[in-house]
Amino acid sequence: MTNNATSIVGTSPPIREALEKATGRARFVDDLPADYHVKVLGSPHPHALITRIDINQAAQLEGVSAILTHEDVGSNLLQFGCHRPTPTMDKQLRYVGDYVAAVAATSEAIAEQALNLIEVEYEMLPAVFDPEEALQDGAPLLYPEGNAYANATGTTLENRKERSVQAWGDIDKGFADADVIVEDSYDIKPQMHAALETHVCMAQWHEREVTIWNSTQVPWELRLLVSDYFKIAESSVVVLSPNVGGGFGGKYTGRYQFIVCLLAKKLKGKRVKMNFTREESLLHVRRPRGKIYTRIGARKDGTITALHLKGYFDIGAYGNFRGGSNSFHLEGGILSYKTDNAWFEAHDVHTNHSRADCMRAVQVPFLSFAIESTVEQLAEKLEMDPVAFRILNMPESGDMMPPTEYTENDDFFPTARFDLYPGRELMEKVLDKIGWKEKWNGFSQPSSVNGPIRRGIGMAYAMGYAGFYSDGSTKAEVVMNVDGSVTVYSGAQEIGQGINTGICMLAAESLGLPLKDVYLVTGDTRSGQYDVINARSSHQLATGGHILLMAIEKVKKQLREMAAPWLGIEPDSVVIRNKTVFVKDQPETAMEIRDLIGSLGSPISASASGPPGSLYPEVKPGYKAKQPMVMAAEVDVDMETGVVTPVRVVTGMFPGRMINKKVVRGQALGGAVQTLGMALWEHFQFDREQSRYLSKDFTDYRLPRARDIPEIETVLLEQVDEESLPHEGLPYGGRGVGEMTAWGAIAIANAVENAIGVRIRTSPLTAEIVLNAIEEESTK
Amino acid sequence: MKPETRTRKLHLNVNGKTLSVSVGTNETLLEVLREHLGLTGAKTGCNQGECGACTVLIDGTPVLSCLRLAVESENCKITTIEGLADEETGQPDPVQQGFIDHAGIQCGFCTPGMVLSAKALLDQNPDPDEDEIKESIQSNICRCTGYTQIVESIQAAGKTIREEKRD
Repeated sequence: MTNNATSIVGTSPPIREALEKATGRARFVDDLPADYHVKVLGSPHPHALITRIDINQAAQLEGVSAILTHEDVGSNLLQFGCHRPTPTMDKQLRYVGDYVAAVAATSEAIAEQALNLIEVEYEMLPAVFDPEEALQDGAPLLYPEGNAYANATGTTLENRKERSVQAWGDIDKGFADADVIVEDSYDIKPQMHAALETHVCMAQWHEREVTIWNSTQVPWELRLLVSDYFKIAESSVVVLSPNVGGGFGGKYTGRYQFIVCLLAKKLKGKRVKMNFTREESLLHVRRPRGKIYTRIGARKDGTITALHLKGYFDIGAYGNFRGGSNSFHLEGGILSYKTDNAWFEAHDVHTNHSRADCMRAVQVPFLSFAIESTVEQLAEKLEMDPVAFRILNMPESGDMMPPTEYTENDDFFPTARFDLYPGRELMEKVLDKIGWKEKWNGFSQPSSVNGPIRRGIGMAYAMGYAGFYSDGSTKAEVVMNVDGSVTVYSGAQEIGQGINTGICMLAAESLGLPLKDVYLVTGDTRSGQYDVINARSSHQLATGGHILLMAIEKVKKQLREMAAPWLGIEPDSVVIRNKTVFVKDQPETAMEIRDLIGSLGSPISASASGPPGSLYPEVKPGYKAKQPMVMAAEVDVDMETGVVTPVRVVTGMFPGRMINKKVVRGQALGGAVQTLGMALWEHFQFDREQSRYLSKDFTDYRLPRARDIPEIETVLLEQVDEESLPHEGLPYGGRGVGEMTAWGAIAIANAVENAIGVRIRTSPLTAEIVLNAIEEESTK
Repeated sequence: MKPETRTRKLHLNVNGKTLSVSVGTNETLLEVLREHLGLTGAKTGCNQGECGACTVLIDGTPVLSCLRLAVESENCKITTIEGLADEETGQPDPVQQGFIDHAGIQCGFCTPGMVLSAKALLDQNPDPDEDEIKESIQSNICRCTGYTQIVESIQAAGKTIREEKRD
């Protein structure tokens, strides 16, 4: 399927929705009118039991139409993908903001008034907020069976594991063989997704079916879960998600969609909407806090002999897209370096915080923080250049990874050969661009000093999946209309990342059509497509694109077979381009598709469905499509105030082939700025004394703004292996690009170390934290 | 029990048209635009003046419509994103075209406010430097693009406007 000569792939037409978004015509869920509005009474306590709840007064308020409490919901459990089975609403409240009651009323104002009229009595329970403390004997229990929930293979409590492990080689021997060992610990704080559009859901029940409008990354998962919950056919659940105002991992299926559906069911025929306030949306979900312990050993020559990593991850009361963070860590983190002996141990732990989900990869952003900080210290101890040390230990194209057999493998990842992996080339290009050689003076040696301002340079490297991660099933259908134009039905989900544009460009390229002749139906489960992973894991382009091209190949095959007798040639010699079929090398012997399909009297269509990637027959088994990311940054540190100012950033990744260059660059730049936010400004804070979240708005949770942004350049390395085609399934060689550049926060911390000689082992590096660290260091 | 509301009839000049609308005295301009007038281009990103998604122009100046009462908005010209393109031809404003052509749009939720802030700048100064552009959108948060391509979009729009003026 790869082909170097492309006319549409590799160009940069505007995204498909550009005009309607620029003119304000694009409709988001909150732009749609509703009959009733929902507000939720949130728990004021982090851990409590409802001992009495009285809704009578609230129910009598004019305009109030329906109220829901745990007493109505019973013990209904939500069976999320890999989550612990979760109560929809519970008598036991597990975080500040947990759902006590939900009111539907004719206006939000009335619903809010009604909340004030609900009488609740609570029995306070002891709470726990630290994932390590939550595992200790005698810790407050959020669930009777314990606070750990690691489960990679199913969703039942019986399958629950205390931890998950991925290991290969002999870790003890690896450390015995090491000449130098560095041990360290990190506490990486949560980052909030903070999509500009808050969470929002609207539902309307008809006789037997329900229509749900939701700002979601995963419409097909929502359809499946709602059908399962209400015991109705999947086909009776319609999920509409026309425009999504950002996701970043924050818009998966939560409990709120079910609360809206339950209220709507009581108000049959009416549209019932729940639109989160900014505070509700910020506190709804975030990336987990990660407490990570690293231990890495190496020989004198720099070869890593053992890599040991143990992490405790705060998944909140109802959190994590997937219990058992292990596989995500492993695939996106540990395999960054090639070592014969490794042990990775993950503990996903419930605490009395709201739910945690992945954000631009499950745990890679803080995993890379821990590894890339430890690796620097190892290089320093070995008196090696940090770049040379990384290059020596990183995998290369064709390497078997992991290099030795798994000894423990809780997530059943196959040992497999890496396909193209130009990590070294990418690193060299990024470092060249920032001028590393001229600016790097060694560890703790600033590149310049100007009064109290010290300038430092730092870097980060990590590895990620290219889209075939776990081979999620997807489906697409292609209809060639009688006039030769094409209607594509795709299961892929647009959330602002540009996948709709990518899908249309791939279809146009493959069929030799101008972009205007491709129409796309998406964000609507009535299209009958599917995608189980959907807009997660940077996977839409590779997986959705692969399946799309398979469907197109089937359409082309039909066309060729129809055209061959008319043209008097074999089907293989028929060329399809620009709504005509013609004889190869004889474009004058042609026939318009309109006439060809017209003779049939109906359009031609085909669909493709299934798990692409390593499970798919035409993709060589045993190969993994992986890609490196590298970020380098220069920062100024003010020794008197602790303020860290990014001066220049170069972010690099490996998109394989860019389908739309501006879209890829946009993903790279956006991810880089999010990682600057994680590194420097976005500070999640909880006041334990008062049981209140302080970071509940954009004043106290500071997102990057235009003037915060330094000069950011990108290195977007294109390379397609036409010869070996290990992943011919990658559409035109294109790889997922949604997450990688968001993993570079540690480049900032490494640059700070370079500037001031102090290593910060937490995030964000606020002025306060940096200044304290400077003062601590000076009193040593 | 019945919640209390007071209403008032207003005449608002929106996108060059005078519209009569009965509003609650406590309703914001954003609520009135979105819920009474069906102009949903202005977005509710925070409803507390921190994100800029609700930005509209009042007499050419960017205003956070979530912080302004509708009853304070008579006797002025309100421009929303819906009023920017040419009414007859549908031709987008050069600022909108800049965002379309230079990938200044990803999810699109900040776009209306972002475009209007940029419009106000370029109407005053069609040749701003990068710092002036960043200053003009400092009140508008974008979580997707990282701002660089937005700045480039505004630079391109300024160029178009300057060329149009020359012709």
